[in-house]
Amino acid sequence: MEPILEMKHIRKTFSSTVALGDVSLEVWPGEVRGLIGENGSGKSTISSIAAGMQKADSGEMVFQGKPWNPKSMIDALQHGVGMIVQESGTISGVTVAENIFLAELGQFKKLGIIDRRAMNKKADEALRAIGVNDVHGSTPLAALDFQTRKLVEIAKVVMKQPRILVVDETTTALSQNGRDILYDIIKRFRKEGKAVLFISHDLEEIMEVCDTLTVLRDGARIRDFRKEEFDPDAIRTSMIGRELQGDYYRGDFTPSRLDEVALRAEHLRSGDALKDVSIDFHRGEIVGIGGLSHCGMHTLGKILFGAEHPEAGSVTTADGTKITNETAAMKHGIGYVAKDRDVESLALNTSIRDNIAIAGMERYAIGNFLVTGLKERPYVDAQIKSLSVKCSDRDQLVSQLSGGNKQRVVFGKWIGRGSEILILDCPTRGVDIGVKKAMYELMDQLKREGKAIIMISEELPELMGMADRLIIMKDGVIMKEFARSRELSDAEIIKYMI
Amino acid sequence: MAQTKLTKKNRLRELLVTLLPIAALLILFGVLCMVVSSRGYRLDMYLRIIFNEGVVLAVVATGAIFIYSLGSFDISLGASTLFSATIGVLVYNSTQSLPLMILTIFGVAVGCSLLSSVLASVFHIPVFVTTVAMMSVLSAVAAQIITTKGGALGGIGIPAAVVEPLDNLPFKLAVLAVFAVLCVFVFNFTKIGRRLKFLGSNPVCAKLSGIKVNVYAIIAFVMAGLGVGLGAFLTLVYTPSVTPTTAGSIGMNILVAIVFGGMPISGGSRSRIYAAIVGGFSYILLNNILKIVIDSGAGYGISQIVSAVFFLAVVYVTSMNYRTKLLPR
Repeated sequence: MEPILEMKHIRKTFSSTVALGDVSLEVWPGEVRGLIGENGSGKSTISSIAAGMQKADSGEMVFQGKPWNPKSMIDALQHGVGMIVQESGTISGVTVAENIFLAELGQFKKLGIIDRRAMNKKADEALRAIGVNDVHGSTPLAALDFQTRKLVEIAKVVMKQPRILVVDETTTALSQNGRDILYDIIKRFRKEGKAVLFISHDLEEIMEVCDTLTVLRDGARIRDFRKEEFDPDAIRTSMIGRELQGDYYRGDFTPSRLDEVALRAEHLRSGDALKDVSIDFHRGEIVGIGGLSHCGMHTLGKILFGAEHPEAGSVTTADGTKITNETAAMKHGIGYVAKDRDVESLALNTSIRDNIAIAGMERYAIGNFLVTGLKERPYVDAQIKSLSVKCSDRDQLVSQLSGGNKQRVVFGKWIGRGSEILILDCPTRGVDIGVKKAMYELMDQLKREGKAIIMISEELPELMGMADRLIIMKDGVIMKEFARSRELSDAEIIKYMI
Repeated sequence: MAQTKLTKKNRLRELLVTLLPIAALLILFGVLCMVVSSRGYRLDMYLRIIFNEGVVLAVVATGAIFIYSLGSFDISLGASTLFSATIGVLVYNSTQSLPLMILTIFGVAVGCSLLSSVLASVFHIPVFVTTVAMMSVLSAVAAQIITTKGGALGGIGIPAAVVEPLDNLPFKLAVLAVFAVLCVFVFNFTKIGRRLKFLGSNPVCAKLSGIKVNVYAIIAFVMAGLGVGLGAFLTLVYTPSVTPTTAGSIGMNILVAIVFGGMPISGGSRSRIYAAIVGGFSYILLNNILKIVIDSGAGYGISQIVSAVFFLAVVYVTSMNYRTKLLPR
């Protein structure tokens, strides 16, 4: 048997950063190969080279016995390698069907006019084929949430029946239902003798889904694991090159907080997303808010920051100021790490310096007006240093950073300006365990400094591991509030989520 | 060591890319000198024409960079220039006061810009839509005033002696330099400029970073209005009269000039003030070279087509850049 895809001695650099040193990789028929490694290890880079998103600086690829040099992702997909990307891979200004058939609208042309009915019908078929029944081809993409867009993207790729499917950190954007859809597709690929390259930071998930596992570190292939060799500790050690010391989450199990209320949400209502939600957030406390993706917690985060307006109710700070927009929120020391990092938290084609500096100008601008490098550079460098952002320099474009380093930049942007209340929506989405650990330590440190932390997350273990108080939401309503405890179990919590 | 080498190489490449529009300007200047000499025309005369046309375009384009940095554009800048100059002429002819004329020109120019941006903010209409409407309205009103007041002359004007002392190279250079320095300062060293560029890079993220989108759009238009005011004034200094066609093509020329100057049409963090000045003069040089080379009745149309082809070529090359990251887009 021959491998479907062989990648030999692949090298890729971005400016001065070596993303891939000399990496070789084979993918075999019927194999689901996991790629795992810390952010910046080269997982996304090597898979995106295979899928035509970018070209290697050197090296060779062979696909189904022939040289493989796709010109673009569309070219790769048409010839048998499809990729579902980590962040948004869809275009919001057009319909679902137009997204699915973006490069192939010509097939629906009749007398020079696109037959939209036929295109929508075909799109519906593609969606139904993967088990998505409630989305239609004619729906504008902008009307869909992040997870449903991801499902549209999956339908688009799977419809072309590629020989190799690359799934890059996709499941973090999906609810359990969405994940089940994707897992079914992966099983089908294995059964049909096709192959899957599966990238995830969720060790449990990757061990469940994959047959083999390749660990990458700093642009090099470190070790391969066969299914029978899967061992979480061995994999973790290979990933980071050392053993993780100390507690992954907080070591204590005693809930604590200061008496002072930092932010108060009262009787918030917003369509079906929020139905009379009231919560007090105290200084020195981490409040975890969990639930299924559509439970309303993400809307709550946006409203707390003033980025969305509730139909009723209010958000007030300790001094009684109502938060009605982002500017007011920032003025009162509120910071917001959004879930959709690449769209809402960062300007990708802008430097690390601009991204960190933009939120903190009043900290260093002379007369709150004049911005000079003399004060700005040390401000930015301090954040880069304290958050250990791996970069060539402060002027490097954020788009060239790995997911974890991008998230460090986002944290730097809000922590640098001295935010007293931090709203963190899925703060560890798409980051590796090393970065996660660093983020958790940072949150713990901020709590000790008396800051109020609101952590919205779809990952129960981190909510249980970090929060002093855990609030579970379902259908826009608070179902239950748990105090931090060693005895807390996920089974007990899940009862209130579903 | 290898990293340092790579970084130096990238920095050098970026510097070369930055210098490319300036190199193009110098090449065009050389070509103009050659073409004028080979035809036996007077070079000093051509240089004066090019400077006078170029300085107006550069000044208006410099102000317009603030709008373009947002990834937006204003097609009405030419019409605003014409309208401001027209009202300025009317005010001078009524009051005989040069300072009042200048104040009026600036007031009208900034007012027109403000109106475009406020309409866009209040009614949530894309800015370029309001500027298209403004272009039609301002051109029509200015043309109506000019034809009504100018009668058979086809234009209105102020006495040449009023502005003659200002019609010289040092004054115009000083005006351009002062305005350019002001814009560079605001654009690069104040919260306003830095936020405008960030807004152009990602408006969603900018809003979630506390930047008031509408407020900054209005500020950008005010800065552009100042450029229009200066442009209108310099137009009157050069030719102390206005006709319905005065400054008519400036709106489109700015777009071409900014691209020639190496600034991405999409705006954002790679926006540069010098793009307006370098691109403005490059465009005027190119236009004049084409006028000389294609010296016939049909010349104007053909040179427009050649300019358009140039424009498309530059956009194509810069969009290639985006993919290869060799040049800015």
